[in-house]
Amino acid sequence: MLEIHDLIAGYGGVPVLRGVSLRIAKGEIVGLLGANNAGKTTLINALSGLVVPMSGQILLDGKDVTALSAKARVRRGIIQVPEGRLVFPEMSVRENLLLGGINATARPRRATEMEYVLNLFPRLRERFSQRAGTLSGGEQQMLAIARGLMAGAKLLMLDEPSLGLSPRFVQYIFEIIERLHGAGLTILLVEQNLQLTLRYAGRCYVLERGHIVIEGAADAVRSDPRTRSAYLGL
Amino acid sequence: MDELLQALVEGLLIGSTYGLVALGMGLVYGVSGVVNFAHGDFILLGMYVCLALYSAFALDPYVSLIVTLPVMTLVGALVYRFLIRPIADQHLLMVVQLTLGLALVIQNGVLMLFGGQPQRTPSIVEAKLFVVGDVVLRGPQVIAAVISFALAGVLFVILRSTDIGRSIRAVHQNARAAALMGIDVGQVQTITFAMGIGIVAVAAALLSPGASIQPSDGLRYTVTTLLVIVLGGMTDFAGIMLGGLIIGCAEALGTVYLSETLGTLLPYAIFVLIMLFRPRGLSWGTG
Amino acid sequence: MMRAEFFRILRSPALWLVLAVAVLGPFEMSSYYLHIATLALIYVALCSAWNIVGGIGGQISLGHSLFVGLGSLLASALLLKLGINLWLGMLIAAVLSGAAGAMIAWIDFRFRLGHLSFALITLAFAEMAEIVAIGWDFVGGASGLLLPHDMGNFLAFQFGGGKGSYWAALTVAVVCVTANLAILNAPLGYALRCIRNNEDAAQAIGVGLLRTKMLAMVISAVLTSIVGTVYARYLAFVDPYQLASPLITVEIVLFATVGGLGSAFGPALGAIVLVPLGEILRGKLGGVLPGLHAFIYGLIVIATIMLSPRGLLALFASRWTRKADSLIANLAKLFSAATGPLLRSALPRSRPPCAAAASRTGARRPQNRRRSTT
Repeated sequence: MLEIHDLIAGYGGVPVLRGVSLRIAKGEIVGLLGANNAGKTTLINALSGLVVPMSGQILLDGKDVTALSAKARVRRGIIQVPEGRLVFPEMSVRENLLLGGINATARPRRATEMEYVLNLFPRLRERFSQRAGTLSGGEQQMLAIARGLMAGAKLLMLDEPSLGLSPRFVQYIFEIIERLHGAGLTILLVEQNLQLTLRYAGRCYVLERGHIVIEGAADAVRSDPRTRSAYLGL
Repeated sequence: MDELLQALVEGLLIGSTYGLVALGMGLVYGVSGVVNFAHGDFILLGMYVCLALYSAFALDPYVSLIVTLPVMTLVGALVYRFLIRPIADQHLLMVVQLTLGLALVIQNGVLMLFGGQPQRTPSIVEAKLFVVGDVVLRGPQVIAAVISFALAGVLFVILRSTDIGRSIRAVHQNARAAALMGIDVGQVQTITFAMGIGIVAVAAALLSPGASIQPSDGLRYTVTTLLVIVLGGMTDFAGIMLGGLIIGCAEALGTVYLSETLGTLLPYAIFVLIMLFRPRGLSWGTG
Repeated sequence: MMRAEFFRILRSPALWLVLAVAVLGPFEMSSYYLHIATLALIYVALCSAWNIVGGIGGQISLGHSLFVGLGSLLASALLLKLGINLWLGMLIAAVLSGAAGAMIAWIDFRFRLGHLSFALITLAFAEMAEIVAIGWDFVGGASGLLLPHDMGNFLAFQFGGGKGSYWAALTVAVVCVTANLAILNAPLGYALRCIRNNEDAAQAIGVGLLRTKMLAMVISAVLTSIVGTVYARYLAFVDPYQLASPLITVEIVLFATVGGLGSAFGPALGAIVLVPLGEILRGKLGGVLPGLHAFIYGLIVIATIMLSPRGLLALFASRWTRKADSLIANLAKLFSAATGPLLRSALPRSRPPCAAAASRTGARRPQNRRRSTT
């Protein structure tokens, strides 16, 4: 469903991704691993349209979307749940969710999506009128994912969902992610947490300093000695 | 005592229009970080357009809004899209200087077309008086206050309950997250700026009847609006409206109770005092 | 403690060439252009002085007209009403400006003002100062003050008009730009830029906020006040609506920003470009239709900013000045290489060439070098 060919992208003329190629088939959970500054967030931002590639191609369902604006990508269902959640602090849970479904594709189904999402995360229904800035970290993560689902995601990209969460919440979030995967959603999981990702993702890529150095099924990646060295720089 | 009450009420009335205008500026600031130093000159432009329409077609300022509102909103959108937005990513101070250049252009354009002598636009409601107890109010003042509060209310509802309003608040609170929702941040900024200028067009029509205008008035309006917006905490809705009322009253009281020179000082003095002891201004939370 | 960059720039041949041209310029200029040049230099000084606080320090002060007003109105009033020599008056005004600047810096620190608040509060002070000046007869009230005719008596702070006033303006301009250069390459400059970037972080690493801001503000205020006195002397008629009005600050900020905030030469460049532009426009178009010249001026300002959003100086990046430096150095070498032999062959051959060359340049024989140089 998604293909990236030789992507070179970065900030201010300095490339962070130096020729990355990867594939995500429909219905997969793909893990993207790597140490800090390997380029994981840059890759996600490039997919979201927030970073304009210097060269390379991004194909969605066979169609070239490299030049598409961020707004258009959201309409096509490429949705990012950003690192740090980035909920709108002064708005209620309800308003955050409404904004999630604001794009033209998702707008017509907003009411039904809202019900679905609130059933998925009953906690959010409890906090419906509460200001998002006053939610706990775990609740904000729920909200961020729910917001992403409101947008009508076909490809849901999660950037470090476990960051700053208690182990119980992490468990809960990943159970939800598995549920969504079971319902047919295609997921790109960007995580520093090696163990967690290898448990839930089907296939994984390991990014090191802008290059894909390892790719394969989760088990293969787990047992590959290069994985540890890529992470610890050994 | 009558004098005090009269001054207070007049101050409150005009203060509501100051607040409205400052709301427009506050929205623009919240969404794009831009402080438009030509804001007051746009007000002036609106007032001169009312004058021109009156001279040419005998249109009452309130009626000419039908023309001025859409035209000025469109002009605002064009100015933002083609002059300000290309620069706004860079040093924001450059944008301020750009708006200063714009202020020069508007001010002198008006000077060239209309001359420097004070002029006024009459209106049929000018002579109408409302007497409430010991306070005598002129028609235009009351109408201005009513419409200002009403429009502020409409603005509040738009921000609270419509998608475009939520988009504006979203961009203000976290532009990157807003982009991830598929919101076109640049477009929202342009729309907000255009709205600000549209509000200015309304304010110009409200302030016009019977008021004497000169090309050099623009800067004074800009500074007043700046005082109100900073006092109000930059983006706090209630704070800004309250700030408008306070500055309006300070102005009115100053000219009545103090000498000419000291009277114009009073709004500044009050501004300084409030800012020093409440650096976040009058804002309670954020808008 | 001064960075090497400072001395490298001071040694730049391009800089000295420009300076030489500036000093000798008046001999070739008509009085009209001399007037424009003098005005431009005054603004170079004002913009550079402001830049210390506004550009390097990142604090947009809209209150500098207070210092200009003190330097111009107060010093003139002291002369006209109390007979105090203008040199002394200048010093008194400068001290008062410094004190006012220190107070403003203290207020900013004590009340933790944000940038926009600082701008507006300084504007408020400036507006108040204008109102006070207009209402106070001692400093001339609304009608201003008229200084006695400039006879060229240097001890009475007179420069003789024309070339003399130009060189006075050039002097303050050079002082202010040099002050910028010095500060930028000294610890104060580092501290200011830290504060500009992130005040809290600066404080966390030990930058003394109050000390730094106060120092910058006082230097800026004192310099501005001094320039104000020179400006007043040049204009002879001291108009509070011009010299104590926030409008002059607006001009200063405009020129400094368009030229390139924060750099040593940016504000100067902005003044050098925009002041003559304004004057020439006013001269050519002022009488045609009221407002036309300012209208076109505004359009040019907008166009300039659209074309160089990071300031005019950024357009003339430093590699240009380095290129100019090496170009001039090469030209100088070429010149001496070409003319050396020419001159030697033109002189009578009575003495050996090196001795003749040595006596021509006044170089000492090697034996004399062991003399102490105290």
